[in-house]
Amino acid sequence: MVPAGDLRVFDPISTTAGISANHGLAIYDTLFSLDSKLAPQPQMVGKWGVSDDKKTYTFELRDGLGWHDGTSVTAADCVASIRRWAAVAPGGQLIMERARDVSTKDDKTFTIALKDPLGLLIDILADVTTPLLFVMREKDANQPAAEQVAANIGSGPFKFNHELARPGASFAYDRNDEYVPRKEPSDGHAGGKIVKVDRVIWDNIADPQTAFAALQAGEVDLFDKPPADLYSLIESDPNIVLQSTWAVDVVMRMNFLHKPFDNVKARQAMLHLIDQEAFMRVAVPDPKYTGAVTSIFGKDTLYSNDENTGWYKKGGDPEKAKQLFQEAGYAGEKVVILQPTNRPVYDRAAQLLAGELRKIGVSVELAPSDWGGVVTRRANKGPVESGGWSVFLTSESDYSLGNPLGTPFLTASGDKAWYGWPKNDEYEALRAKWADIETLEERKALARNMQRIWWDFVGDVRLGYNVETRAHRKTLTGLISKPQLTPMWNMQKA
Amino acid sequence: MAAYVLRRLISAIAVMAMVGIFVFLLLRLAAGDPAAVIGGDTATEEMIAGIREQLGLNDPLPVQFVRWALSVLGGDLGTSIFARQPVLELILQRLEPTISLSILTITLSVTVGVSFGILAAWRTGGLADRMLTAFATLGFSVPVFVVGFFMIYWFAIRTGLLPVQGYRPIEHSLKPWLVHLILPTVTLSVPYIAYIARIARASVLEVLSEDYMRTAAAKGASSYSMLFHHALKNAGAPILTVIGLSFAGLISGVVITETVFNIPGVGRLVVDAVNNRDYPVIQGVLLLGSGLYVLINLVVDLSYTLVDPRIRY
Repeated sequence: MVPAGDLRVFDPISTTAGISANHGLAIYDTLFSLDSKLAPQPQMVGKWGVSDDKKTYTFELRDGLGWHDGTSVTAADCVASIRRWAAVAPGGQLIMERARDVSTKDDKTFTIALKDPLGLLIDILADVTTPLLFVMREKDANQPAAEQVAANIGSGPFKFNHELARPGASFAYDRNDEYVPRKEPSDGHAGGKIVKVDRVIWDNIADPQTAFAALQAGEVDLFDKPPADLYSLIESDPNIVLQSTWAVDVVMRMNFLHKPFDNVKARQAMLHLIDQEAFMRVAVPDPKYTGAVTSIFGKDTLYSNDENTGWYKKGGDPEKAKQLFQEAGYAGEKVVILQPTNRPVYDRAAQLLAGELRKIGVSVELAPSDWGGVVTRRANKGPVESGGWSVFLTSESDYSLGNPLGTPFLTASGDKAWYGWPKNDEYEALRAKWADIETLEERKALARNMQRIWWDFVGDVRLGYNVETRAHRKTLTGLISKPQLTPMWNMQKA
Repeated sequence: MAAYVLRRLISAIAVMAMVGIFVFLLLRLAAGDPAAVIGGDTATEEMIAGIREQLGLNDPLPVQFVRWALSVLGGDLGTSIFARQPVLELILQRLEPTISLSILTITLSVTVGVSFGILAAWRTGGLADRMLTAFATLGFSVPVFVVGFFMIYWFAIRTGLLPVQGYRPIEHSLKPWLVHLILPTVTLSVPYIAYIARIARASVLEVLSEDYMRTAAAKGASSYSMLFHHALKNAGAPILTVIGLSFAGLISGVVITETVFNIPGVGRLVVDAVNNRDYPVIQGVLLLGSGLYVLINLVVDLSYTLVDPRIRY
């Protein structure tokens, strides 16, 4: 198969890259997993329970769990893994803030004792926002989270084939014949992880046209996340299926620290300026795979809602945007848009955005670089004259946007928030309540309130959503597409 | 001769040292941060800061440079930030595909290019000359990736005669190695055939107009003898120079072909390393590449003595 990018980082805890999470899903296992309805189900855990005061969770590992080096998985491995993951994952950080103790009871049992109840604890452990909670050997998990674990020894359904590893070129994953799957049928990431092929080879074909040609010729069976400009060609081949997977929102981050976007009116202007259909057309030519998104929680998550979305107008409203820039006291300050030329979607959208802003009299400068240049420059908190920035484009999966505790996109804590550093104390106070709300209905109500405030202070701007895809030969079946990422168990080749 | 070779080898070390310093500084001054690449698109600032610290990227530049220089002097090019493998091991892993492709390409290019050039010069102004000149112009102008995709379409997808992409090591079996290299070799050879043919034609034409060629003809030398014993030998030096430069250029210029045909060679290793800001790999490849370039030039210079006995070092 042609994976969705080059596997550059083997350690799925020290990165948020989806490709490393896919690698993690193959060789590591998780305590809990989400099913296709996003409900958490036990995976490595056999039995679990919570005390009457809802402060102590006890987990017992199921039988038959073993590392690829032949040793058994123990509760100590799980405790060390939770601690390492919690050093980087926002959900894990919340658990550690609330935890009184995370410790082992015996070889197969461990507990998480909390200072106060945390109703979302199991959901957080099962979350598939990267980095996921993959369980590693204790000696690996004792390394700092910033130091990469490269042993590639897990307890998952596949074994990493070290002999055939060619970094930058190809990797091979062999079926782990010792893996004991759960008895339940496969459902999303949950249920029995039954591997139905002997070996999966990741062939990192850098050129998408070559990858597609290889798929057509039957040299590969799966091409994960093909670029949108190949969709029509893929759909025209009778031997290939283009499978829609999950939605991804394209997000515009604005720099709250400097003019003009330190002014809420200027940010509101951007909200009104955007013609989401036009932006998505330049990103993905086929409208079948795109659409407008008005909820901060994504297109289709449990918390997607229509609160305070009156700003949305088909085709955008440039006149209103122009008026709002005037109300913001815009005086010709330069707006620098970071333009990653090796990311076609953001590259084209950045150029369109520059054009739309110039039409309403905003002074714009595109700052072209590769994506590596963007990720470096976006960390610069200085003004544009000192190498700072005004706007950059990025994206986040629909699934992750449905979890304001897991995604950094939905934080508004100023300096501690994600790039752009949005700040709104009222919103943050509501977000802090998220973990303690017990029922879904109450959380949905909270989501509406959060969204009302977010769109008032405009924490970010959405350019629309596009649906990710996979192209695979018809002979390959059983691919798992929910909730997100690309697990390799269950797939079958005729 | 020995003193000359020694002088050139010493100059190679000086060139490599300068390349090393230049590349080290250039990479640090260019935008980009391996820690940010490791962290991934949605990594937090805190996460990236932790990785930077871990990689030693927060140390002052002179400290980083001395650390790297000492390790190179000790024969260690460093460890890839991403692959976690020694740089030399990574380069050696990728060397075979690049050398295979380069040798096959240069063999095909020289054989066909020199033959075309001689034929065009011998039949100057005729149909063969005009056709070969047209091919040379076209072959040199059409980008390699266009030729590559054209080849893939016709010979892999439409007819299924050859594989689309990939590489098979020669130690496994000769046939799959060769089969996987046919399309890339032909694709990469096109501009080199055109280039060599043009130079060979011009050189042979120049020699054919020399007085000694007229003398040879007057003495009744056969066409074969005139062309191969007299003309080609005297036209050899410029052709050899072009072949040498082509070979050196090939080593560094196979990137596009390796990308189009998914060949895991050194070219792709460098491109990936640049995209990832994998400093040790970029530095290591460029350091060795510059040394190789100097060595190939030295070999070419020495080979002049074989075609022109008047040249002495």
